Amino acid sequence: MENDELNSLNEEKLFSGLLLLNAKVLGLVLGLVCGVGLFIATNWLVIKGGAHVGQNLKLLGQYFVGYRVSFVGSLIGFVYGFAVGNICGGFLGWLYNKIALLRE
Amino acid sequence: MVPSSSDLKEGNKLCPESTVIILGGGPAGLSAAHECLHYKVRPIVFEMGSMVGGISRTEAYKEYLFDIGGHRFFTQMANIDHLWREMMGDDFLTVSRQSRIYYRGKFYDYPLKMTNAFLNLGPIESVRILLSYIQAQISPQFPEDNFEQWVANRFGWRLYQTFFKTYTEKVWGMPCQQIQADWAAQRIKGLSLKSAVINAMFGSSKVKSLIDSFNYPTRGPGMMWDRFKDHIEKNGGEVNLNCRATGISHENGRITSVTYDRGEAGLETLPVAQIISSIPISRLVKILDPPPPKPVSDAADDLSYRSFLIVVLIINKKGLFSDQWIYIHSPHVQVGRIQNFENWSKAMVPEGPTSSIGMEYFCTIGDSTWQMTDDTLIERAAAELAELGLAQMTDIIDGTVIRQPLAYPVYDQNYSDNLAVIRTFLETFSNLQTVGRNGMHRYNNMDHSMQTGILAAKNVCGDQYNLWQINEDESYLEEEQTPLVNSTLVEKILRKSFARIDELAFATASGTLAGLIIFLATIWLIVKGGANVGQHLRLIGQYFIGYKVTVAGAFIAFAYAFFSAFLFGWAIAYLRNLFLVLYLYRIKKKSEMRSLRDLMDHL
Ligand SMILES: Cc1cc2nc3c(=O)[nH]c(=O)nc-3n(C[C@H](O)[C@H](O)[C@H](O)COP(=O)(O)OP(=O)(O)OC[C@H]3O[C@@H](n4cnc5c(N)ncnc54)[C@H](O)[C@@H]3O)c2cc1C
Repeated sequence: MENDELNSLNEEKLFSGLLLLNAKVLGLVLGLVCGVGLFIATNWLVIKGGAHVGQNLKLLGQYFVGYRVSFVGSLIGFVYGFAVGNICGGFLGWLYNKIALLRE
Repeated sequence: MVPSSSDLKEGNKLCPESTVIILGGGPAGLSAAHECLHYKVRPIVFEMGSMVGGISRTEAYKEYLFDIGGHRFFTQMANIDHLWREMMGDDFLTVSRQSRIYYRGKFYDYPLKMTNAFLNLGPIESVRILLSYIQAQISPQFPEDNFEQWVANRFGWRLYQTFFKTYTEKVWGMPCQQIQADWAAQRIKGLSLKSAVINAMFGSSKVKSLIDSFNYPTRGPGMMWDRFKDHIEKNGGEVNLNCRATGISHENGRITSVTYDRGEAGLETLPVAQIISSIPISRLVKILDPPPPKPVSDAADDLSYRSFLIVVLIINKKGLFSDQWIYIHSPHVQVGRIQNFENWSKAMVPEGPTSSIGMEYFCTIGDSTWQMTDDTLIERAAAELAELGLAQMTDIIDGTVIRQPLAYPVYDQNYSDNLAVIRTFLETFSNLQTVGRNGMHRYNNMDHSMQTGILAAKNVCGDQYNLWQINEDESYLEEEQTPLVNSTLVEKILRKSFARIDELAFATASGTLAGLIIFLATIWLIVKGGANVGQHLRLIGQYFIGYKVTVAGAFIAFAYAFFSAFLFGWAIAYLRNLFLVLYLYRIKKKSEMRSLRDLMDHL
């Protein structure tokens, strides 16, 4: 069964590799998701209008200094969202890789 | 080193050798000779037969042409395909394949077609086959060390018995339990997980299989080799027919001369600078002078072959059936396969009302079939053809027999060890290379045989290709695939795509990130201070019992968030890995089912 062994070795080699995350790409993706997400969420409330526009969302201003539920605020929110998402994604990727490599 | 097609452009190096002796005028030997001409090296071919082409020759009987086994021209190698087309020009037909299996008085389309098989088998047998397939999937039998077990584990016991057992046993002349499972695994490489994934990822939709169509020279495969011979001779090479190599002298690790038998003209000897041999490797060892050490000679004796004979029957009728060939999966008759040459090319039979049928018998030199007289063989073949209902006895007007010794190198239990012993010994000669099918005792088709010849010629002029790697690395799907950049790159891509996420690492990283976010969010509010610190954030306490917007609360929140995101991250990673494995399993099964369609072509 020498050949079978060879075959399964090949398959093992091919499919048991360890996935490493690209921290930069993950940061960029998460940054964009958070930035664009906050941009859309803010503008959605602005367009909807009403008595107390974005009374809950504006609480984000506690963390994102200068952020408010307005069009300009959505741009500021995009920058904050992108920055936080980017840091979180980068950190997640970096930490995952460190632990995964350590365990391998 | 296996070359890429760009490596295989015409050579432009100056070769130090001026002549190369080539033993055997089959596809491998002639391709080597053809390649030598690119380097301005003069090839001298010695062929023991009266025509070129080896197993791939076209034989003739009266005005009827026939082919030893039905040679389909199809290759994944662009340089070979190009060479074939260049040689044949307009004489290269594209033939749509038509073939069937004869089983229990019925004809089944082959490659198998669902509805046709269902109609022939009937609902009860079809359900039985399905159930036995399911059973094989649920509880395959181990150890899987023979062909029977190997096929039954993949396709179910009943399907194996219905369509594969008898024909395989006819071809190899032994019970399927005695055929090594690794032979099947090697021969049907398309079933490896790797090929399955490559197919799934790189476009099986573009796969055009040998199953559907193939090329064929108008006057049979021999026409190709006659053109090679003409080309070689026109360009200064020699192709000597009826010259059997009978002795190969060597000294100090070099072949020094070759002796060949010219029949009535007697023996002649020629000095050798470089030699390429496509004659059976076991014979090559036997004609070495001085003889090889005993273990090498014993290993050569132990290599075995399956032979083949074809009984050609001339029938006083045209259009007996529309298939090129029919597999005879019936133990009641000895014939293994039946060829209808007019369906390969109209030019294989003369004009008029007659046609020729090739009844193929697989045998071993010396066995009862091999030893039968031609007349008995013709009688038996005629009776079997009539018994199968493919012709009337009265329509069979003539016949002839062609015996093809050493048609199939046998992969038995010892072949690989024996081959290793012989190879190691032959590699001590610095100016000898072995190529081709029997030359390397390898189940090579024409294209791979040719490729070994071509690369051997390149090696003569300084390249260093490893001929033993040909037909080892590539898939043997006999399918044309989109050219992949190169196999290492593909492997790299596959490894990345199918790499496993480390669940624990992903869970820990997710947990840490979530914990830190909520920890910092809490601390931030505390640092900012104000009248009602964290009046909204503290609502998280609804879930994280005990949480408050305080420094202690920040630590509690970290612990809660870490724990929940840890579970969440772990579940995501676990499910991703699980679905990946399920996906792989699915494509492997799909590929197995696909290969079922042309399993018999690989036997
Ligand atoms: C039944 C059958 C069906 C096949 N169908 C296909 C197919 O559909 N498609 C495909 O691509 N391939 C097919 N093949 C495989 C194909 O026939 C071989 O791959 C090909 O012929 C091998 O070429 P070769 O030159 O290595 O060997 P061979 O064709 O065996 O040629 C070797 C030559 O060496 C000569 N020789 C032997 N001993 C000596 C000696 N001492 N001195 C001088 N000359 C000698 C022989 O006479 C012969 O001409 C089939 C094979 C068989 C048996």
